[in-house]
Amino acid sequence: MTAMNRTPQKPADWLLNAWLDPATFPALPPEEQEIILRLARRLDVLGALRARLEQAGVLHRLSGRIQDFLEGGWMIAKARERSVRWEINRIQRAFYGTGLPVILLKGAAYIMLDLPLARGRVMADVDILLPEADLPLAEQRLNRHGWFTALQDPYDQHYYRQWMHELPPMIHQQRQTELDIHHAILPRSARLHPDSARLLAAVQPIPGMTGIWTLAPMDMILHAMTQLFHDHHFLKGGLRELLDLDALLRHYGQTDPFWQQLIVRADELDLIRPLSYGVRFLHRFCQTPMPEFMLSSTHQDAPGWLARSIMNRLLPLALLPGHPDRLDKEPLQNLARWLLYVRSHWLRMPPHLLIGHLTRKWVKKWHFNVWNRRPV
Amino acid sequence: MRIADLAIQELTRRLQSTGIVWRIGPFLVRLRVFSPDFARHFSLLYGAYPLEPEPIDEIIDFHIELVRGSGLRRWLKPPIFFRMDGPAPFAPFPLDHALPLFEWGFNYYIATWANQYLMLHAAVVARGERALLLPGIPGSGKSTLCAALVAQGEWRLLSDEFALIRPATGEILPLPRAIALKNASIGVIRALDGSIVLGPEFSKTRKGTVAHMQPPLTSIQAVDQVAWPTWVVCPQFQPDAAMQFTPMAKEQGFLRLSSNAFNFELQGARGFQAVNRITRSCPMHHLRFGQLTEAVELLTDWSSS
Repeated sequence: MTAMNRTPQKPADWLLNAWLDPATFPALPPEEQEIILRLARRLDVLGALRARLEQAGVLHRLSGRIQDFLEGGWMIAKARERSVRWEINRIQRAFYGTGLPVILLKGAAYIMLDLPLARGRVMADVDILLPEADLPLAEQRLNRHGWFTALQDPYDQHYYRQWMHELPPMIHQQRQTELDIHHAILPRSARLHPDSARLLAAVQPIPGMTGIWTLAPMDMILHAMTQLFHDHHFLKGGLRELLDLDALLRHYGQTDPFWQQLIVRADELDLIRPLSYGVRFLHRFCQTPMPEFMLSSTHQDAPGWLARSIMNRLLPLALLPGHPDRLDKEPLQNLARWLLYVRSHWLRMPPHLLIGHLTRKWVKKWHFNVWNRRPV
Repeated sequence: MRIADLAIQELTRRLQSTGIVWRIGPFLVRLRVFSPDFARHFSLLYGAYPLEPEPIDEIIDFHIELVRGSGLRRWLKPPIFFRMDGPAPFAPFPLDHALPLFEWGFNYYIATWANQYLMLHAAVVARGERALLLPGIPGSGKSTLCAALVAQGEWRLLSDEFALIRPATGEILPLPRAIALKNASIGVIRALDGSIVLGPEFSKTRKGTVAHMQPPLTSIQAVDQVAWPTWVVCPQFQPDAAMQFTPMAKEQGFLRLSSNAFNFELQGARGFQAVNRITRSCPMHHLRFGQLTEAVELLTDWSSS
């Protein structure tokens, strides 16, 4: 509110508290409410925050101006949801008669499963999973129905096809929507190797719909953890991903056997490391309810104390936003993000590949800056 | 206290420290600007607005900062950057173009986030509570016509850019900002009436030369008074053309209102219903004009009958 008290304690904590306990929001002082709303808008969780306030029965107690502010984000989420439902319908149409399954990942799956966390959640694109052998057919059908590859550069094409876990992103020429087609949940070149055949063998149909599938709940959770802890794309919206995971685990993880099976499944999929980080950070930031053994049991593949203590310091810095007036201006946070970016690349491919890839990227970037920069 | 009551030096100092809080239509804005000329330009155009007394016990919608860069370029060709809770996703402007950067950036963030409203791309003026919508693509002359209408005195300004409609009720909320005039329009408006106040001319912007017209005092005083869609006129300026004022088919009028809007599709069904209500209830006309004063006279007479 007043620019004078600009050094308040922990804006991210305020956001987390309001998120986890929305009923407390109406009684907060306006300056805290304002910071929470600004951060929620910046992190693209404004619509979801509104859904949580409504769920808690306190939305109507807020001032008209705050309700308007929240509605601004809510409408975006509603529009994206409509768009995603339509995209799924169009993908089904493109695959019609081929026997190709439509297996939804992440946000599209949350929406079609009607999970509580899908309410007001903003999503950018649709991600689907296919057996690798089906990719050429899928690509051909999608081309025929108006999707085209978004990357024209031959190196980018080669990079995706050779090393990544997905095809180069496709864009629909009329609707300009993005579709990512995965054959795995981590790059071919990555350190961890979750077996796609196991994921595909466990997919589940969405009740009441034909031909649309999602990963099994545990695999959905492990996939989200893997993206958060092993992929740099998710660093920027990292807090949002963490909040997704919290909601997923509160939804599915209501019994002890679920958690025991989650460990078994993570072991099968070579995803003990992301699970280990995931449960620790969820426990720490979101107080996600979970049985004691999730935090105490150690596994031979779990990260050692050094890796853990480094991550313990870096992750909060990178994930938790600071004061909205100073976003992207805090050197310590920027350093933490950079280090995690380097880490994610390290996990993504072996050193010789990494050096070649980054050199090419930098040369391209430098070339762009120096020669192609347009006057302002 | 009004913004113009602050000495330029004091306004500059405040803009560069804690910022000022400005209530413009339904929005509260905190504005911090690190540019030497901005205070003078802002005070000229928006001086009649009250300065919100602090502390404020409401939430502020937009925390806008215009800050100077730190790189080497600041010595050669200094840029100024727009920030709103972190960096804005568009390129900086030259330092002496702080005012156009502010106007453009503020529009960008309203258009992106104020989806509690249906936002049609139209100039809106009103006589009392009855609003005239002037939807038009850039180059149609809607801003110029809007400026001439409000300069004439019968009409108050709601906006030269946004028809801000509350979907539940259909009312239009005033957002009386400075009117952005481009290129030849600047001279045309200046020649209309000696009492019109224009800000400085900014040359070599993306849209050529731009100057801003001060919103009339009466429009600012009526900022809390909503207006209701009453007439729709699609202007088309054509140099030296004879004036032509013809009824427009409703289906065409619907498309004129919706196809060029900021968030018509995003609003879903309620956006469709709101535009449908306007289409059904308002007479819709196409206006081709070559002489601005003739067009103003015609619209004023027509709306009186």
